Amino acid sequence: MCIWGYKNMSKTKTLLTNLKNRFTFNSKKELVDFFVRIFFFLATIISASFIIIIIFFIAREGIKPFVTDNNGIGRVDVIRFLMGDTWLQGTVFQSNLYGVGFIIINTVYIALLSLSISMPIGVLTALFIAKIAPKRLSEILRTTVELLAAIPSIIYGLFGSGIILQLVYNFAKLFGIQSSGGNSVMATVLVLSLMILPTITALSEVAIRSVRKDIIHGSLALGATKTQTNFKVVLTSAKSGIFTAAILGTGRALGEATAVYLVAGNARSGPSLGFFQTTSTLTSTMLQGLKETIGIDYDIRFSVGIVLMIIILLTNATLNFIKRRVGNVDVK
Amino acid sequence: MSMSNKRKKIDNILQGITYLAASVAVVTLSLIFIFVFRNGAGLVNFGLITNDYHAKYYNGGIEEVVSFSQTSKPDFLGDDDFYSEKWGIALSDDLNREGKQIIVVSYVAKDSPLNNMYDRNNQDNQYFNIEEGNIVTSISFFDKNSALSMFGAKNMIDELDNSDMFREIIFSSLGGGIRGSLITTLYVIGLTLLFALPIGIFTAIYLNEFAKKNRVTNTIRSMIEMLTGVPSIIFGLMGLAVFVPLTVKYTPADSANLLSGSLTLAVILLPVIIRSTEESLKVVPDDFRFASLALGANSTQTTFKVVLPSSLPGILTATLLAIGRIIGESAALIFAIGTAVKDDVSIFGKSTTLAVNIWSLMTDEPANIELASTIAIIILMIVLILNVAVKLLSRNFIKRFE
Repeated sequence: MCIWGYKNMSKTKTLLTNLKNRFTFNSKKELVDFFVRIFFFLATIISASFIIIIIFFIAREGIKPFVTDNNGIGRVDVIRFLMGDTWLQGTVFQSNLYGVGFIIINTVYIALLSLSISMPIGVLTALFIAKIAPKRLSEILRTTVELLAAIPSIIYGLFGSGIILQLVYNFAKLFGIQSSGGNSVMATVLVLSLMILPTITALSEVAIRSVRKDIIHGSLALGATKTQTNFKVVLTSAKSGIFTAAILGTGRALGEATAVYLVAGNARSGPSLGFFQTTSTLTSTMLQGLKETIGIDYDIRFSVGIVLMIIILLTNATLNFIKRRVGNVDVK
Repeated sequence: MSMSNKRKKIDNILQGITYLAASVAVVTLSLIFIFVFRNGAGLVNFGLITNDYHAKYYNGGIEEVVSFSQTSKPDFLGDDDFYSEKWGIALSDDLNREGKQIIVVSYVAKDSPLNNMYDRNNQDNQYFNIEEGNIVTSISFFDKNSALSMFGAKNMIDELDNSDMFREIIFSSLGGGIRGSLITTLYVIGLTLLFALPIGIFTAIYLNEFAKKNRVTNTIRSMIEMLTGVPSIIFGLMGLAVFVPLTVKYTPADSANLLSGSLTLAVILLPVIIRSTEESLKVVPDDFRFASLALGANSTQTTFKVVLPSSLPGILTATLLAIGRIIGESAALIFAIGTAVKDDVSIFGKSTTLAVNIWSLMTDEPANIELASTIAIIILMIVLILNVAVKLLSRNFIKRFE
C-alpha cells in the first residue's frame, strides 16, 4: 500500500512538472520531448483507430445490399437473408434472393460440437500436464502443446483434406452412407477440434497451475485422495480460467476460414445437421468463388462478415454470462 | 475396507481418463506431423526452392552445326542416362507426378551445340540453351519421324546420334517450384514489419511510459485489445475494402497486391506487437528510469537510451512471433493479396505467400497434396525454429532483471 502511494505520488509529481513545462519550452530538450510525445500519441491513435475502421468499412459495404437496389437487381430482404435456407436462389448477379439462416445454424452447431470434443480432452490433458505427469514429462508435453498451438490453421486444413476426409468417407461407408468424398459436418468438426485443442489445453493448464496451494492442501488434509482433489477441487477452482479457454476456443472455431473451407463441402442450402452431410459456415461462404470486386455478390460477403461478427459477440457474451453465473473461485 | 477399495477404483479410473485424454491429444497431433512429412518429404530438395512454379515452354531450333561436341560421357552419369557424344547431351527416363512417362535432361556438355538455339516461336534472334532438369517433349527432324517422349530416352538419343540436323526441339522447365512464393513471403514479412513495428512499439511506449491512468487510456487499450478477437477473415475483408482501393489509387498497382496484403497483416499484428513490447517494458525496473531522469536526461532520452535498449529482447520476441503469424496467415491474405501463384514477384502485383500457396494448391482440381505438404514442412520448420528462439530469448530476458 505504502509503495503504491509513493509510486503514484512520484508519478503525479513528474506529471505536474511535465504539465508546467509543456508549454514553456526552456530548452531544446523539452521541445523535442513535446514533439516526441505527440508523435507517440499519434501512433497510439492509429493503433486504436483500426477497430473503428474495420467496423465502419465492413458495415458500409455490408449494408449496401439491403439499402440500395444493387444496380437494378433489387434490395435484399433482411428478414429473408437472416432466415433463408438457401444461399442463393437464381443466378449470380441476377438474383437478390440470398439467405444465411441455415449457415448461421451450421456455424454455431459445428463450433459447439468441436468445443464439446476438445473441451474434455483439452482440460483433462491440461490436468495431466499440470498435476499428474512427472515433472520431466509434463515439461515436454507443455512445450509440445505450445508448439502445436503455433501451427498455422492452413496446415490443419491440409491434414484434414489429406487424412480426415478419407477417414470420414470410409467411416460413412460402414453405415452404408455415400458421403461427398468425406466433406461433411463430421470432418469439419474433427479438424476444428484438433485445431483448438492446443489452445484450450495451454490456457487450461495455466489456469490449473495457478490454483492456490492452500486450497489443494486443505482438501488433502481433509482426507481426500490426490485424484479426488484434482477432480473435485482443482478443476472447480480453475473454472474461470477454463471458461476463458472455452471462450477463446469458440472464437477461433467460429472465425476459422481456410481449414474449414477445405473439408466442409460448401453446401449451398441446409441446415446440415447430419454428421455425414456436406455443410458450410459463414467463413467458408465468404471464401466461396470470389470473382468480381463490385456488385451484389461482392458486397454480400461483407454482410456475411457482419453476421459473423455479431455471432461471435453474442457467443462471447453468452459464455461470459455463464462464466459469471457459474461463479468464481479465488485463484492466484 | 470395501469403501476404500471402491474409492481407489474410482481414483484409478479417473486418473486413467486423464492419461487417455493426454495420449489422445498427443497421438492425434503427432499424426499431423507424420502426415505432412510422409507426403511432403519426397519433394524436398534444393531445386524446389529455386524453381519457378509455372513451367516455361520452349521451341528451340538450330542453325547448321559447325562443330559437334567433343565431350565424352562423364563418369558421374549412370547406365540410366543415355548420352549422345555428338550432341553433348544426356537424357534419362522418369515419371511425373501424374505417373506419365517423361524424359529429363540429366547433363549438357559445355561444348554442346544445344547451348546455342534460337526461339522458333519468336524470331527476334534471342538465343537460349537447354539446361539440366528440363523436360524434353519431342525432337522433330527434317527427314524422319519425330522422337517423342513416349518412346523413351534411348530412342531419342539414338535418333539424335543418327542426324546432323533437327528441325525443332520442344522442351520445358520443370515448374512446381516455390521460388515465387518464398520471395513473396520474404517481401511480405519485410513490408509488414516495416509498417507494424514502429507503430506498435511507439504505441506500447506511449501506453506504458507516458499515458496517464485514466478513462481515455483505458478506452484506447480496450480498442486495441478488441482487435485480437477479430477473426482473420474479417481483417481480409477490411484489407479488401480499405487497403486494396488505397494502394490501387496511389501506387502503380491495379488489383490486390503485396502492399495491401502487408498493410492488412500489419493491422493483425499490431495487438501482438503492442502487448509483448509492453510486457517487456514493464519488466524494465523503474529504478532505471529514475536514475536516468535524475542524471538530467529528459523523458525522450530516457525512453530511447535507457528503456528501449533494456526491452530490446522483448521487442525481438514480438518480431519473431509476428513473423510466425505472417508465415501462417492464409484467410486474410486470400482477400488482400489474391491467390494467383506468381514467379515474377512485384510489390505492386498479385502473388501468394507460402501459406496461401498451400491454399491455392489444395483448391485446385486436382489438389496437389504432395507439393502442399512440402510447403507445409517448410512452414512447420520455420515456426518450430521461431518458437524455440522465442523460448530461449524470453528465458534469458527474465534472468537479466532477476
